[in-house]
Amino acid sequence: MRQLLNGNEAAAHAARLARVEVLASYPITPAAPVMEKITQFIAEGSLKCNFVRVESDHSALAAALGATMAGARSFLITNSQGLAYMSEVLYHVSGLRQPVVMAVVNRALAAPHSRFPEHGDVVAQEACGWVQLFCENNQEVLDSLLQAFRLGEDERVRLPVMVNYEGYIQSHTRETVDLPEQEAVANFLPLVRRPVLDVNNPLAVNTVTGPELYIDYKYQQDAALQRAGEVLQEVSTAYAGLTGRDWGGPVTGYRLEDAAIVLVAMGSLVSTARIAVDALRAVGEKAGLLKVRLFRPFPAAAVRESLRAAEAVVALDKNIVYGAGGALARELRAGLYGLATMPVYSYILGLGGRDVGVEDLTSIYRQVREQLGAGTTPAPYQWYGL
Amino acid sequence: MAAKELPVVPSARPGTMAAGAAMERIREQRPVIDHQKCNLCRECLLYCPDAALAVDKGEVRVDWHFCKGCGICAVECPVRAITMVAEYAGNRGFIEK
Ligand code: SF4
Ligand code: SF4
Repeated sequence: MRQLLNGNEAAAHAARLARVEVLASYPITPAAPVMEKITQFIAEGSLKCNFVRVESDHSALAAALGATMAGARSFLITNSQGLAYMSEVLYHVSGLRQPVVMAVVNRALAAPHSRFPEHGDVVAQEACGWVQLFCENNQEVLDSLLQAFRLGEDERVRLPVMVNYEGYIQSHTRETVDLPEQEAVANFLPLVRRPVLDVNNPLAVNTVTGPELYIDYKYQQDAALQRAGEVLQEVSTAYAGLTGRDWGGPVTGYRLEDAAIVLVAMGSLVSTARIAVDALRAVGEKAGLLKVRLFRPFPAAAVRESLRAAEAVVALDKNIVYGAGGALARELRAGLYGLATMPVYSYILGLGGRDVGVEDLTSIYRQVREQLGAGTTPAPYQWYGL
Repeated sequence: MAAKELPVVPSARPGTMAAGAAMERIREQRPVIDHQKCNLCRECLLYCPDAALAVDKGEVRVDWHFCKGCGICAVECPVRAITMVAEYAGNRGFIEK
């Protein structure tokens, strides 16, 4: 069934279709409407779910963790300051291997205070052990969230998943979204019960772990996160069988065959970059695009495979890791290391909601083409559109 | 090197560490209750952060799986019926209960 939905409504419908059983969330702009919509579903009787009112984002994630350990399917939303506040619990959830699913409606971090989109909030949590998916439009928000439950709950993975989409650009903009039937989703996403908490079999969880075992637990956790990249491909294929929509695995290329200069982006920028690539191709430029859908685990092998034949790569980062540059650029350089002498140009742009349009991307492309022609070594990173 | 076999969720039997070390390896001292002095007021039960104390057959007893030896019970007992004694006595090893 097709409906006109903004990103937040699409996320709420995903929670309904996934039959989430516990929603523990603390309101934050611009993610709060997801909670409102889900509580409306609960009130109407179209979703049986326990809405837990909490006093903070920290408690929200702790409640979701407890509910998941009791065997319930839990969902929550946050972003920006709320995600930063959850930071400690994020590591508990991944370390305890609980498949909580969270929609992160990306927004800049203070100071100065901002309510507008960028990826700085999630990039700050790059090491927390969650699967991190990015969506370019509202259909992908719905589809990725449904895939997130199956991916996180998969026996080989058993990890929490963040599904990212940008504040306002996606959260408050309506697009046509095709909603799959409840029955079809139930087949794709059977309820997985894996309770850890059992009153008849008491267990100490999150036990004190000495040097003789801690590193082994961490090895297992990282191996599971790496497996999530492979399982995502399977889950995407199964989902495509159900809905006909295939978002691909960790990365997808656009006009990459014979592409000389490849733009690389995550989130809403991907749609803009696709139009920019078409515009550049129309005037004879060999432009291409690589969409990074999965940021964690970073799909280095898939990136190498996709960019093998490129002459230059342009990382478009809506985030700044202070003193180090763009997160995507760092990953690309690390992933491509040793492959060729291919330069990676790194642009920091669009922070705190600064608009990035098609013309901006075509102008970045031209700058790169000139620098490439002149044989200049790319700067570690540069800021665009100041 | 092969990874060790571990539960997926870091967990263990109550009162043990992940590696299976027993609580007496963690406690530095343990509470000893003088049942003559104890008037069963149950104050210690309320204060114990690990719910390690219970009244069983008319006497306060400690569940050694859970007591971490913090000594809060000894401080809170209004009639000073609880004394903390060392769990480990140097080269004499662990004190038997
Ligand atoms: S020493 Fe601490 S943990 Fe042990 S019984 Fe007393 S209060 Fe409880
Ligand atoms: S607080 Fe002291 S007197 Fe009261 S029950 Fe405990 S040991 Fe007995």
